[in-house]
Order: sequence, then structure tokens, then C-alpha cells
Amino acid sequence: MNFFFSPPSSLAIKFAMAMKLGFTFLLLAVASICEAAAIFNPISESHKSAAIELFSPADGSFSSLEEAFEALRTFEILGIDTKPDLKDSTCKSVVDTLSSESSNSKDLYHALRVSSLLKCKINKEALTGVTSRLQGSVKDAKSLLDFYYSIGGLTLIKDQTSEVDVLLEDADGIFRSIKALSQSDGRWRYSSNNPDSSTYAAGVALETLSGIITLTSSELDGNLIEALKKDVVKLFENINKYDDGANFFDDGHQGPVSATSSVVRGLTTFASASGSFNIPGDKILGLARFFLGIGIPGNSKDLYHQIDALGCLDQNRALVPLILSLPATVLSFTSQDKLKVRVTTVLGSTSTTPPLSVKLMQVFTSGSKDASIINQELRFDPKEAIHTLDALPAGVDVGKYIFAFEIVLSDPEHKKIYATGGRTKVPVYVTGFIKIDNAKIEILESDSVETQNKLDLSGKNDVALSANHLQKLRLSFQLTTPLQNPFNPHQALLKLRHESGVEHIFVVGNSREQLKITLDFLGLVEKLFYLSGKYDIELTVGDAAMENSFSQALGHIDLDLPEVPEKATRPPPQAVDPYSRFGPMPEISHIFRPQETRPSQQLSYAFSGLVFVPFLAFLVGLSRLGANMKNFPTSTAPAAFAILFHGGIAAVLVLYVLFWLKLDLFITLKTLGVLGMFLLFVGHRTLSHLASTSAKVKSA
Amino acid sequence: MANFSIATVFVASISLLLALTHSFSLENPTDRRILVLVDDLALKSSHSIFFNSLQARGFELDFKLSDDPKIALQRYGQHLYDGLILFSPTTERFGGSLDVAAILDFVDSGKDLIVAADANASDLIRNIAAECGIDFDEDQSAVVIDHGSYAVSETEGDHTLIAAADFIQSDVLLGSTKIEAPVLFKGIGHSLNPANSLVLKVLSASPSAYSANPKSKLSSPPSLSGSSISLVSVVQARNNARIVFSGSLDLFSNKFFKSPVQKAGSSNKYAKSGNQQFATEISKWVFHERGHLKAVNVRHHRVGETDEPSIYRINDDLEYLVEIYEWSGSSWEPYVANDVQVQFYMMSPYVLKTMSSNNKGLYIASFKVPDVYGVFQFKVEYQRLGYTSLSLAKQIPVRPFRHNEYERFIPTAFPYYGASFSTMAAFFIFSFVYLYSK
Repeated sequence: MNFFFSPPSSLAIKFAMAMKLGFTFLLLAVASICEAAAIFNPISESHKSAAIELFSPADGSFSSLEEAFEALRTFEILGIDTKPDLKDSTCKSVVDTLSSESSNSKDLYHALRVSSLLKCKINKEALTGVTSRLQGSVKDAKSLLDFYYSIGGLTLIKDQTSEVDVLLEDADGIFRSIKALSQSDGRWRYSSNNPDSSTYAAGVALETLSGIITLTSSELDGNLIEALKKDVVKLFENINKYDDGANFFDDGHQGPVSATSSVVRGLTTFASASGSFNIPGDKILGLARFFLGIGIPGNSKDLYHQIDALGCLDQNRALVPLILSLPATVLSFTSQDKLKVRVTTVLGSTSTTPPLSVKLMQVFTSGSKDASIINQELRFDPKEAIHTLDALPAGVDVGKYIFAFEIVLSDPEHKKIYATGGRTKVPVYVTGFIKIDNAKIEILESDSVETQNKLDLSGKNDVALSANHLQKLRLSFQLTTPLQNPFNPHQALLKLRHESGVEHIFVVGNSREQLKITLDFLGLVEKLFYLSGKYDIELTVGDAAMENSFSQALGHIDLDLPEVPEKATRPPPQAVDPYSRFGPMPEISHIFRPQETRPSQQLSYAFSGLVFVPFLAFLVGLSRLGANMKNFPTSTAPAAFAILFHGGIAAVLVLYVLFWLKLDLFITLKTLGVLGMFLLFVGHRTLSHLASTSAKVKSA
Repeated sequence: MANFSIATVFVASISLLLALTHSFSLENPTDRRILVLVDDLALKSSHSIFFNSLQARGFELDFKLSDDPKIALQRYGQHLYDGLILFSPTTERFGGSLDVAAILDFVDSGKDLIVAADANASDLIRNIAAECGIDFDEDQSAVVIDHGSYAVSETEGDHTLIAAADFIQSDVLLGSTKIEAPVLFKGIGHSLNPANSLVLKVLSASPSAYSANPKSKLSSPPSLSGSSISLVSVVQARNNARIVFSGSLDLFSNKFFKSPVQKAGSSNKYAKSGNQQFATEISKWVFHERGHLKAVNVRHHRVGETDEPSIYRINDDLEYLVEIYEWSGSSWEPYVANDVQVQFYMMSPYVLKTMSSNNKGLYIASFKVPDVYGVFQFKVEYQRLGYTSLSLAKQIPVRPFRHNEYERFIPTAFPYYGASFSTMAAFFIFSFVYLYSK
């Protein structure tokens, strides 16, 4: 999670990181209306909730003592109470670490740091043991961090108890060996065999050296302290600066937040150990602004660094930055808002600020360089600790302004203690109700008014106009500010929307205290794509300073434009409503071919019956004619052939019936073939028998 | 040396294999590995709530500076990431091999993208947007201003902090819980190409908004104005790759997530803006935790049968069944809708029918095969706002009646049959009379 501590893989990234961060802040500065005019608000309630969220241990206890310290320190500065059970469990691990033989100076240091915040009960023997171990490690220390942990540990023991002797024997020697790691530009190296110098290390070294100052019984060599002070001044010469007045230290290894925080910590501890020294007040204020400007960091490490640094700056012996903030920079003329200014420390406290007054020095009109010099003192309300400007300076109408304030300390001596940072420029918006007069919409024909409609722009309008391409449409209205000055809004747009959805927007121009637009349709036919028909008219007037910004439909105009010439540009396609594009499609069902119309079944049956009538008539006719079977062969063999012959005919007829009912052509033809052969045979026998019989009869 | 390189290749392939098993697949369409490109690593901290919500949902975020020379979206033809978040509005050139073409290629392979622009957005970001049918205001200094529905603030007086509440009506895009509080927006507006049917406006500006430089006087009509300004838009490509474009990077920031909001002219004060809900829901959509459909078990048969025939006869009654499931981020849930339609299609739909559902994901339609023969297709073209599109097609031939499948005994023909058979009977009798009568 913590990118400032992750080891960067290449130098390019480090550089890019610094550049990028710089760029973001530059953007912030640019976004804030005017360069060098930005508001920094002190630490607020939202920091508290963010801290509780980021530092709440997942399983009820902190994962390490370092994390515990960061959380507890942040809570302490922000005034958040720690839960007693969390306290107990943390104290227990502190005692464990201190009594454990295996813990190194870093562990001991973190344990002592936590204990200094929680006031854990540690017995004297343990402390004595720890002291001797730390003193031993001071002697063996090689790198800056070794010194830092052991000396830091000893300083913490000294603060917690007076019963243990923590004083260093060879303070001068240790001081020199740490000082030897410093670089000419005020930065420090971590150890003598590591050539990289860092700003973060400079802060660590300052803290360590101020620890040594407090751990000596005798005075240290004054030259050493002086040299160190020069180093600090050098370090501040290389400070980075943003346009909005924020200062920070950049460090390739650690990132700006932790590096700047480390320097602030070192600087304030050094100042409290060795007394104040000469750092320009605006740089200290710049550091405070840097930390206030980064907002609420999203990870716990950065939040700790931010809050810890601000906590150090809040009360220190170098210079205490005072932050001028405005609860509201948008003031309404209508509700007679008063300009209020708070002067607080970085943590938002007003109780520790010295007696002071705030003066409004200048008011710049936005967009112009000239400023009116005012030099007016704000009324102080001690109860709420707010400085109030009772009335806006004369001539301040609605609009954007930049107010320049100055903090004046009542006691000139305090200038050495507090950094006020000279003039603070703040963008202020004054909003008000804009009066609308003389609104009218007209149709002109060769500059003579054809029709005129008065408009009530604060109410509803529904005008119905009609015009052809030789006429003009004119809309005009007047806007006046509460101070009776003509007002020119940023947004004054007239919109014509054709039935087909094509929109045309025109800017209503400003001429002689009046907003006016004349649409000459002759010149516009091309732009209107020769689209005749109904156009809705809509007027939008708005400005940041206008409280009654409005956007309303005025009515419609029927335009009668000439026919579209062939080469004219077509209107652009209009956006399709997405909801309709995705809806289900209308259902389609197939229309089947209609059934062939057939006669009714009864008719078919009736005719089926009718076709049997000739058959019946035939039977009746036969019986009338006296048909008989007298000629049927009587002898056995011919009778059998005759029966077989007629049986064969019957079979063929039955086969035809079967063909109709179920058989297909192939079976039918095959069977017919067989039956045909059979019939040929039996038919021949039968017929020849009949022929011979009749021949006999004839001859007889 | 050789041993070493073999070992390296082995380890690399094993890790690649492991990585692949945990990643995006057809059966598990939610993205897993996401590359976040920022132009300032401080963003990781200032936008941490958004990133943490992604990590809490199981995404692996890989933060890189946008000009990091080691950025690569693919290696050895394999994509290293399933999604890309571009929170680097000012980047003019990406580091490494990444460029507009590489990003479009990434999208073309079905991967997802979130792009946040801001005032001063670079040409690079604008080009990526333009390729997706989104045109940011060409005026570099223009931001969206709204004097009608700005967020009431005691310190922001230029009305560029907008309280936008004109959301698209879509549960799949923005979740089923209505976003009550307006969304804070500070940035640039864009317009959508009307010819592009894949891009949708999710958050639109109010009718009184316009896009202009707040510091200079407006001399020509603003290129974007009114509710045609889109603040946040989404694109769903034909391959179901999803893209979100936001004109504001701050929209995703911790500061906006937590800040209270009150819209101008409204007395409703919300303790928290709708940004967090909006950003979370839209990220769920873009990374396929919602609205991803799959169709399985597509089958059809004649009514009363279960086997799938290889051919249908005209006028057959058939049933077409399909099961549709929606990915919920962790499992496939039955998709419930009443507008899934099936088409029986040959050159144009002959039948288009809304399918009935059993509310457990099974959709059924039964209809009669048209009396036109040829090669038909069962088609399900399901395109709904925000959902991945389903496009199913199955070919099936339809034949006419066989010769023996026509109606055999038509009553109308009975007189003819009667006539033939009576003639036959008469012939039979006549044969007796003719031969044997005296």
C-alpha cells in the first residue's frame, strides 16, 4: 500500500514521481481561479474519521509497535481516545519487547515510543537494562539509523523517568561522528559507505543530534551547533515550491510527504533542544501549507506523516505557522452574508493563537490587475474567535474578487514566534439577485417592428411568432446588479430547436447596458439547413455570481424558409434514444397459404350417392330385360375356369380398390401383372369354351 | 547457463499457467488482473476508496506510472491483464510499448477499460476516446459549467462542481439500488457520435449546462451544451469489451466520495454524494460482474418429441428452447426477462416470437413451421441496454410434403370414386350378363 516507502526500481521513476507530484499541485494551483490565491483549511473533523478508519486494527491489536506508534501518535494529535483494551494489549507487547533479550535497538526504540504515548508501567530494572543496552549500541553504532534508534530510545527513557541515568559519556564525539555524514547541501547520508544522500536522513539526523543535546550533562561545543544550524539553512535553500505558496522537500527514496515530515520533525525537535534559529517564516508556513494542501491521504503511513508533521508545527519553538482560513468564500448579496476569517494554528486550534487582528488590505477585481487599497481591520469576536468584515468594501458588486488579508500580531515580539506569511490572497465570490428588465422579443421587417412581445423572464412565457426568411428576430433584455450596474452574464444563450431535433445555439451579445441578439434569417438559412417549420425558443442566462440563473422556454416561432437547393448541406443525424434502440422487436407471425376452398361435404356425399343412380338403373334394367345365367358352363372343368376367370376379374377390381385405399403403384402393378397372366389364361379357356359351345349350338 | 535458462523458462511457464487458471475465462467472465496507470502515484492514496473497493472484490491491481518504460499489456502473445484503468488524464505519451493502437488492440481482444479525463486532458486520452465514438470538447480550457444544477458549496463559487443526477435508467449498469444523492462532477464534457450505436450516455448534464472556459468571456456558442453533454459514458463493443469514459477524474476521488452534496435550488442535503455508489456500480459493470449473459442448451424439436430432427417439414409444430444465465460476479444465475425473442429466419424473419420463460432461465417458444421450404435459421439476437449481446444462430432445412404425405381421402372426390367403383361393379355384373345370359 505505501508507495512512498516501496523501493523504487529506477532513478527515472523517482524523478518521474517527483515531477508528477509537482504537476498535480501545479494543477491544483491553476484550478484555484488565480495564481497564488488559494485557501488552506486547518485539520478538520474529516481527518479524525479518516484516521479512525485507516488506523483501526483489524483484529483488535496492532501488527507492529511501529504501526501502533503511528496510530497512537495520530490519535493523540487529533484528540481521539484510544480504547482501554487496545491500550492494555499494546502495553503488554511493549513490556514484552523491552524485557526480551532478542530485541534490537530499533524494536526498543519503537517500544519506548509507544510507551511514551500510552504511559505503560515499566519497572525500573527493565528500563535500566534497556538503557545500558542502548548506551552500548550507541558506542557500536555505525549508521545514522543505529544512532537514531539508540539515542532516540535514550531520550524517550529520559522523558519517562528521572530515576535512570541515561546521559551519554562522549556526547561531542558521537555528535561529530553523526555530523560527519552530512553533505554540503544540507542533506545527510545513512552511513559512511553509502554515497546517496537524502532529505529524509537529514530530518532523522537533526532529530538524533537534538537527542544528543538533551542527553549531555555539559554544554556541547557551540561551534558544532552553529555548523548544524548552517546546514539547516542550506537544506531550506533547496526547498521545492509550488505556485500556491506551499513548500516541500523532495526525496527520491521516500517521497515528498515522508521526507518533508521527517525534516519538520527534526527541525522542531532541534529547535526545542537548541533554541530558535533563523528560518524564513514563509518557508515554515509553506511547509504547513504543503501538509494542509494534500488533503486526506488514503493510506495510513502518509496520514501519520501528515498529522505528525502538523502536530510538530502546531507548537514548536522555531516558528508556529498561523493559518488564515475562510469558512465561506461564496457570499450572497441577497442574504447579506458577512465575510468571516479564522486564524488558527495548523491543527485548527484558536486557543493557542496570540492576540492578533486581521486586516483586509486590497481587493482585486477578477480579470484585471488594478486593485483598490482598503486597509480595513476586521471586527474580532472573541467568543467564536472569528474576524468578521461587517460590510463589503464600497464598490464591491456581484462578481469574482480576490481579497488580500494580512495578519497583524498585536505584540511585535510575537513575530519571532509565529509565522503569518504576509498577505494571504483569497478568491471571493459575491453572488446576488440580478434584476431583469425590458425583456422583449420582436420580429423585424427591414428594421421596422412587425410584431413585438413583452416577456416576463422571471415568470412563464409562451409566445407564438412567425417569420419568413426576409425578416429578423430580435431579443433584448437588461440585467442590473443590486448596485444598479449593468450585468453581463457568462452564459447568455438563445437556443432554437427545430421539430426534428436539430438545435442551433446563439450567444446573446452585450451592447450598451443591454443584452441583445438579432437573428437575420436571410443570413441564417444555410445554417438552419433550410428547415422550415416550428422552432422552440429557449433562453438560458446564468453566471456564477447570478443567484437567479434561469433556463426557460420562451415559446415558438414558425419559420417559413425557401426551398432546399440541391447542394445544401443536410442536417446532421440526431442521436437515437437508447431505450428505443434496445427494446424488443414487434412480433412477426407467418401468414400461411389459405386452404383451397372445397364444396361442403354434404354436397360431395349427395353427389357420391347420385353417381350410384345409373348403376342402380343398370341393375333394374338388367332385371327388366330378364338377364340370366343360363349359359353358365355346367360341366366341372369349364365351370371352374369360369369361376376362376370372374374371380380374377373381381380380384383385379378389388386390387383397384386396395390401390385407392392403401397400396402404392409398384405393388399394384406387380400384382396386376400376375393377375393379368392368370386372367389371360383362365379367360382364354373360358372364352374358348363359350365359343365352342355357341358354335355347337349354331351347328346344331 | 543452459540449465539456468531452462529452469527459468520452466518457472515462468508454471507461473503463467497459474496466472491463467485464476484469470478471466468464458466460464468466469469477471476480470481479475487490472493495470492501473496513473500520472501521479499520489492518486493511489487520494483515490484509495475506489481502489480498495476493487481489491476487496478480488481484483489484482497493478499500479504503474503512465510513463513507466516497463508498461506492457501483453507478453509472448498473452495478455498480462484483463482490464486497464487509465487515471492519467495529462499523459501525453505512455511509457513502454503502450500507445493508442495497443489500447485499441487490447479492447479488440475483449478486455475492459476505464478512462478518466480531466480539465487539461491530453491529446492521447482524447484520441483514445475519439476512437471509441466519444468526442471530448475540443477546447482544451473548457470545462462543464452549470449555473442551474451546481453543487452548493461555500468555497467553490464558479459552478464547475456539478451535482449531476441525470442517470441512465438501467439496473444492469447502475445497480438495482437507486442512486439517491447526486454525483459530484468536475471536469470536461463530451458528446457522443450519433452514428455510433455502441456508446451510451450514463450520466448526462442538465439542460442548463454548457462547456466553456469559466475564466474567459463566451464569444462563440459553446460546442457542447444542454443535456446533450455527456459526463460519463460507456461503450460495449461487439465483442462485449466494456469501456467507461468519465470526463472527471475527481469523480472517483476519496474527497468526492465522502463530501456532502446539495444541489442548487433544492433543499435536499445529502450527507454523502452518490459518487461512491455510482463508481462502484459502474466498475462492477465494466469488469463484467454484472450484465454478462450466456446461452446454453440451445435445442429444438417437434412438439411431443424430444429428439432434435435434422430437417423439418413445412407446417410442423416445433418447440425451441434455450437456457440463459447471467453472471453475478461469482456464479451463473438464471436470467429472468420477458423479452427474449427467437426468429425463424431465411433472408428475413418469417416468425419472430417472444419466448416464454419459466423464471429459472429456461426460455421456450413453440410455433408452426411456415409453409415455405428452404434453409432456415433459428436466431436469437438479444441486445439489451447494458447486457452483453447474445447472438445465436442454428441452421435447419425445411422440406415440403412428400407425395404420400398429402391428404388421401378428400370428400370432394367421392363422386369420382363412386363413379369409378360403380362402373367397375357394373362391368363385373355386365361380364356375367354378357357371357352367360340367354
